[in-house]
Amino acid sequence: MHRWRSVATLVLVCSGACFAALGPQPVLRGEDLQTTDNQIGRYGGTLIVAQRSEPKTLNPVIAADAPSREVIGRLTADLIHINRASQQTEPALAKSWGISKDGRIFTIKLRHGLRFSDGQPFNADDVVFSFQVYLDEKVHSSQRDLLVVGGKPIEVQKIDQYMVRFTLSQPYAAAERIFDSLAMMPRHLLEKPYKEGQFAQVWALTTSPAEMAGMGPFRMKEYVPGQKIVLERNPYYWKADQSKNRLPYLDELAFLFVGNEDAQVIRFQAGETDIISRLSADNYALLSKDAASRGTAFFDLGPSLEYDFLVFNLNDLKKDTDNIAAKQAWFREVKFRQAVSSAIDRDSIVKLVYAGHGAALWGNVSPSNKQWVDQVLPHPPRSLERARELLKSAGFAWRADGALLDRQGKVVEFSIITSTSNAQRTKMATLIQDDLSKLGMNVHVVPLEFRAVLDRVFQTYDYEASIMALGGGDADPNPEMNVWLSSGGTHLWHLGESTPATHWEAQIDQLMQKQMVQLKYKERKHLYDQVQETVAANVPFIFLATPDVLVGATRTLGNFKPAILDPNTLWNVEQLYFLPGNGTPAGGKP
Amino acid sequence: MNYLERRVIHGVLLLAGVSVLCFAFGVMAPGDFFDEMKLNPQISPATVAALRSQYGIDQPLPLRYGRWVESVLRGEWGYSFAYNCPVRSLLMVRAGNTLLLTTLATLLAWLIALPLGVWTANRRGRWDDRLGLAGTTLLLSVPELVIALVLLYLAVRTHALPAGGMVSVGFGGLGKQAQLIDLASHLVIPAATLVLASLPLLVRHIRASVLEVLQAPFVQAARAHGIGGARLLFRYVLPAAANPLSSLLGLSIGGLLSGSLLVEVITGWPGMGPLLLEASLARDVHVVIGAVMASTFFMIAGSMVADVLLVVLDPRVRLGST
Repeated sequence: MHRWRSVATLVLVCSGACFAALGPQPVLRGEDLQTTDNQIGRYGGTLIVAQRSEPKTLNPVIAADAPSREVIGRLTADLIHINRASQQTEPALAKSWGISKDGRIFTIKLRHGLRFSDGQPFNADDVVFSFQVYLDEKVHSSQRDLLVVGGKPIEVQKIDQYMVRFTLSQPYAAAERIFDSLAMMPRHLLEKPYKEGQFAQVWALTTSPAEMAGMGPFRMKEYVPGQKIVLERNPYYWKADQSKNRLPYLDELAFLFVGNEDAQVIRFQAGETDIISRLSADNYALLSKDAASRGTAFFDLGPSLEYDFLVFNLNDLKKDTDNIAAKQAWFREVKFRQAVSSAIDRDSIVKLVYAGHGAALWGNVSPSNKQWVDQVLPHPPRSLERARELLKSAGFAWRADGALLDRQGKVVEFSIITSTSNAQRTKMATLIQDDLSKLGMNVHVVPLEFRAVLDRVFQTYDYEASIMALGGGDADPNPEMNVWLSSGGTHLWHLGESTPATHWEAQIDQLMQKQMVQLKYKERKHLYDQVQETVAANVPFIFLATPDVLVGATRTLGNFKPAILDPNTLWNVEQLYFLPGNGTPAGGKP
Repeated sequence: MNYLERRVIHGVLLLAGVSVLCFAFGVMAPGDFFDEMKLNPQISPATVAALRSQYGIDQPLPLRYGRWVESVLRGEWGYSFAYNCPVRSLLMVRAGNTLLLTTLATLLAWLIALPLGVWTANRRGRWDDRLGLAGTTLLLSVPELVIALVLLYLAVRTHALPAGGMVSVGFGGLGKQAQLIDLASHLVIPAATLVLASLPLLVRHIRASVLEVLQAPFVQAARAHGIGGARLLFRYVLPAAANPLSSLLGLSIGGLLSGSLLVEVITGWPGMGPLLLEASLARDVHVVIGAVMASTFFMIAGSMVADVLLVVLDPRVRLGST
């Protein structure tokens, strides 16, 4: 009896040790860690950040919302990663990769000796399994579309335990960027539920941390519904600093669920969180005022990759929308759109909506995207005279009281719908209303609930004009294919075109298809410049502005290097550490 | 069939009616859960359509309602599109947090309002009654949103209290007593907001009820017999004034699950409020319906409690059976 009790105690102690927080594990012989070039930090501390809403799942394949992806991104790792600071790809779990001359075959060599956060080895079987799941139509992964090139899914083949071959049906420019954020998953934990058709149910928020494992810098520790998710250090993480200290430095990373930006500001001011991301210009100004006395620092990282735009409804209309159909004659007239674009005072939008923390836009590529922005794209200043000339040449005229009339003598009057959840866009609409009133246009601003806007824009086409925003994901043009291709699902001004409705849309289709398969940057850039110029000349979107990315953090945080790409502040979380000094949490030198 | 049985049947029918209306309005609202995906150029319309089909959003309304009823009978209360799990598990935890806050706030509000209402009624027209009336008028005119914001501002300025949430990040590592103090400190702002917001109404109702009884002949007779002060007020007057107050208590119980939604959102209390707000904006219809049904259940239960109390407290009320 005594012997059995001893065995039971030993089992309990061992299992407890397995699930208790482990310190960074010593580097094993043959373990091919990636060495980072960051400043050497100190172990210890819990970094607390706020999220606008709680993640909905920790399943990397079905997660579609930003909070889930932000947490999953810290729990998992990809083969090839986009460095958020340089915006270039770099090796991650893949030590290196090679591309065949025709650009169709990618051969990826994996790092040797890596382990998942539960200590189990990572190899080619996990890679093949992960892609099998992503590509399975029954799983309905939102990433699957990325992996379908030229209408055919990417083929994945294991060469040996540390080498995998990816075959594309056609060359695909910057194909290595596809691999970014595609989490590699543990076959030893997930193959069974996948084969049983239960994959959508795995890794829910309530799943026991012992049943989850990833290759990210942290692993799951605790989830408290409606309150927080706490992650703890992955003791087997595959990156180390130049002194061979295994990363991450932080013991824990806690995400607090704080419902809105103002509440996040309050929590940050109260010192309850360490980092605040995506601030509005108003809150940035408010917090910056006493930043030094509060021991915080704020950063304006420059224009984001998002673009705000005004779009007119050029769709083939459904029934009961005759009033909109009558106005589409104006919207389809390119000179009308050019006149509207010419009359909009973009500088005022930047000044009044973004308090100067933004940039005016004349194209879809943000000035921050140095690699792809067309430097020669014209930036015509606001000109009411030019707008009037354009309208006059298109057959418009003015009544004695200044109201603009079309060829049939009808007063030009339309509405702009915006989302009530985005105060900035409503402000933009009001400024545009004022700008266009100077041309004699009678514009109404109609704020609607966000889903109602989406329903009108994507489903019923029951709107005249709308202010929306796109972009922000990646710097490369390929993720935007569906915006510019006439058949694309996000070709917002005219959805569902079976063939290009205009010659310039046909031209854009050709240019985008060509750039997608062009492997040389210079040629590709030339093609994409032509796309930007064609779009700017025909103004299907009237580009307005892009906000700056504004973030803040406590001054005690080392290696804090926020970037304009998402996730702006946590992209290098494994390198973050608390500096010694006041408020420094417990933790010693490694 | 006795009165209670009739009330239970009415309550069930009412819940069924609310569920139909809630479902119809929820589904008729423009847009659905997967619409936001359409803004992502990397997700094809075919993928969005497949997801809508997988979750049955493309089905006709009666079929969707039938499936929801089946799910309720299985004890799941529908399926959340966002969390990919049954609604019941989402609601139970949040409802617990809400009830912790509202029960405490309701108890505190009643404990303060009862003596205050009785006292001000007894001091009618004097300076302390006028002061009380002015105070309740002021509180009545200030929305609870403003009260919460003022308290949060003070918390941020003084660092005396946490500025939101329910517990600190390191809560799990604290001892039992420290955990209790941590929870209590997080409760102060939302609970104080709810108490201050509900206090004027309670005080004024109690004051009016007590005033009415104070003018009754039996009170004059008691005073003539030399009974006065607190004994008269709390032993004789208050029970007689309790009749209308039982309805008020019913309302308080009815609002336990739905009366703090806004305060929870502002103060970051992880109850039903933030969940319901997010689910409404995201069109996570089953979560919204589940939350509304749970709140309706409390309203019905509160109303029944009030009626039962009325029978218990007032011997003049007699119930017949059909």
